[in-house]
Amino acid sequence: MTLEEKLKILADSAKYDASCSSSGSKRINSGGIGNASYSGICHSFASDGRCISLLKILLTNCCIFDCKYCINRKTNNVKRAIFTPEEICTITMNFYRRNYIEGLFLSSGIIKSPDYTMELLIKTIKMLRYKYHFHGYIHCKAIPGASEHLLKELGSLVDRLSANIELPTENGLKLLAPNKEENKVTKIMSYVKENRKSSFAPAGQSTQMIIGATKETDLDIMNKSEKLYKSYDLKRVFYSSYIPVNKDKLLPSLTTPPLIREHRLYEADWLLRFYGFKTSDLLDEENPNFNILMDPKANWALRHLDEFPKEINQVSYYDLLKVPGIGIKSAKRIIACRKNFKITFEDLKKMGVVIKRAKYFISCNNKYFMNREYFKKSFIEANLILEDNVKIENKKEQLSLFS
Amino acid sequence: MNIYLYDGTFKSLLDLINKLIELKIKPLDIKDKENFKPNILDNMIELELDMEFDISKIKVSKNIMKTIYYVYLSSDEHKELIIYYFLLNALKYQDKIFTMRNLKCVNSALKLAKRVSNECHKLKGFVRFKEINNHVLYAEIAPDSDVLELLSYHFAKRLANEYWLIKDVKRNMYSIYNTQKYYIVSGKNINLKDIEIKEEEKEVENLWMTFFKTIGIEARKNKRCQMNFMPKKYWKYIIEMEDAYEKGNNR
Repeated sequence: MTLEEKLKILADSAKYDASCSSSGSKRINSGGIGNASYSGICHSFASDGRCISLLKILLTNCCIFDCKYCINRKTNNVKRAIFTPEEICTITMNFYRRNYIEGLFLSSGIIKSPDYTMELLIKTIKMLRYKYHFHGYIHCKAIPGASEHLLKELGSLVDRLSANIELPTENGLKLLAPNKEENKVTKIMSYVKENRKSSFAPAGQSTQMIIGATKETDLDIMNKSEKLYKSYDLKRVFYSSYIPVNKDKLLPSLTTPPLIREHRLYEADWLLRFYGFKTSDLLDEENPNFNILMDPKANWALRHLDEFPKEINQVSYYDLLKVPGIGIKSAKRIIACRKNFKITFEDLKKMGVVIKRAKYFISCNNKYFMNREYFKKSFIEANLILEDNVKIENKKEQLSLFS
Repeated sequence: MNIYLYDGTFKSLLDLINKLIELKIKPLDIKDKENFKPNILDNMIELELDMEFDISKIKVSKNIMKTIYYVYLSSDEHKELIIYYFLLNALKYQDKIFTMRNLKCVNSALKLAKRVSNECHKLKGFVRFKEINNHVLYAEIAPDSDVLELLSYHFAKRLANEYWLIKDVKRNMYSIYNTQKYYIVSGKNINLKDIEIKEEEKEVENLWMTFFKTIGIEARKNKRCQMNFMPKKYWKYIIEMEDAYEKGNNR
């Protein structure tokens, strides 16, 4: 098998992993090649619009597990390949020198045993770091069930060390991934959390959930995310629309992946991490799923219209963040600027506020943008939905904003 | 009112603006004399400038100076005047200036500085080196803003042990790095006729193309989104977009 054929197989089987971020590490170049960029750098964008930052490959797609949703499951009849450590190093170095990539994302199917696979990963990355003096970004997936001393060794070599939770509930996991146990994944997460420092997985950890393969609601998913963020200091939870790669009576038969649902989950995820929202603000047992027609923040605002309109020159930072169309940056700018002058609608544009969304929910110096009679749920809702639908039809979704 | 000329360098621009502020002169415009074609009615003035002007004489914070430098790197035709008014206010208000977006010159300056830093960040990813003779790495770029210096700083750290060259095709400027330091040189003073690209280079490029094509998920295909993040104007120099560049679209 040529190197190119191998790369094709092992990139193809790695592509369903959503994470490609290269941020959060300050690794410097000490006498070799490469360094990390704290903000991360995207080097290219694939045909699906997702960013390509890292060389995303599996060490091997051979696997002793039989997870129903996975293209590499044991019972699938697909071409199998395995990279030698030397091959991975050669490709990484060749790509990195030419500035094609920001670093390496290495995951693997499980061959022989978790420990055996981990040892192969470690061998590869050690070679890259010590023989090739590579100081660029490396994100490695830990193998659930591997021994602690191997986690320790791998973590000290990479920038990010993580494990995928795969499904939002233990039941889902039992159904579709009978060989995986949630506690083996969370064990890795706790270990990374406890040991993280500048010399051990400095960029922290992330995880991924498959959306739409099992019957869980958005509420189940967001509750899980919230818990994961709280318990393990995760940098990110990635949501990956289930794409039917296998036929199985346990799997749904979707024709298109639920991309808009995935998009809503990412929006909500942002609200949890940066906007001071809790899952319980956004969803409950009666409304366990997000409105496909409207983003979660606008949806929340409409249900709490009594808290609006918010006075731009007065309300707190977190109140500003609750306004649709105002983000972290624009909220900070408003806070800084209003110390110096009274902000008007005109000024808001300059601060990066999305006026066409925000205008319904704010007042500037007690002025509403139009007659106050129109400050009604039905009016605002209709306008917002109209706008969003045009957006969805024209642009589909800007999914790779989030990966 | 008069148009004042400087020689295109950052130092000379700051020296000029500093003098204008000291003399309380409000210029109609400030222009780079190398690239400026005067109108018959324009009255042009060249003040005597100090080649060794010490920028630290201007009493503003690092952040303000950085913003001014970034505006200077932009390709906006009014950048000099924007810098003049921005600095005029910055001397008065110091760091508070960053919260005064209601002033037109502040808003314009911050916007331009942001545009330059965004383009620089994008190019940190989009620059594509090819290996030429003697293992030297060579890349071409054609950015809107003059980000060659900023990029050189980035790659001098990242590819510290390599010899590399980056050419800004638009401005005919080169950055040359010799494993120790980079030098920015005009294309007029450089002769690069004997560039050879080796056979093996094609192999690495093919490997990259294989990866690039494989990593996209067919069921999620979204070329419009791809183009939003990787705008057409950069395609010419991005290996994996060469086909799209020649066709004129990425479909």
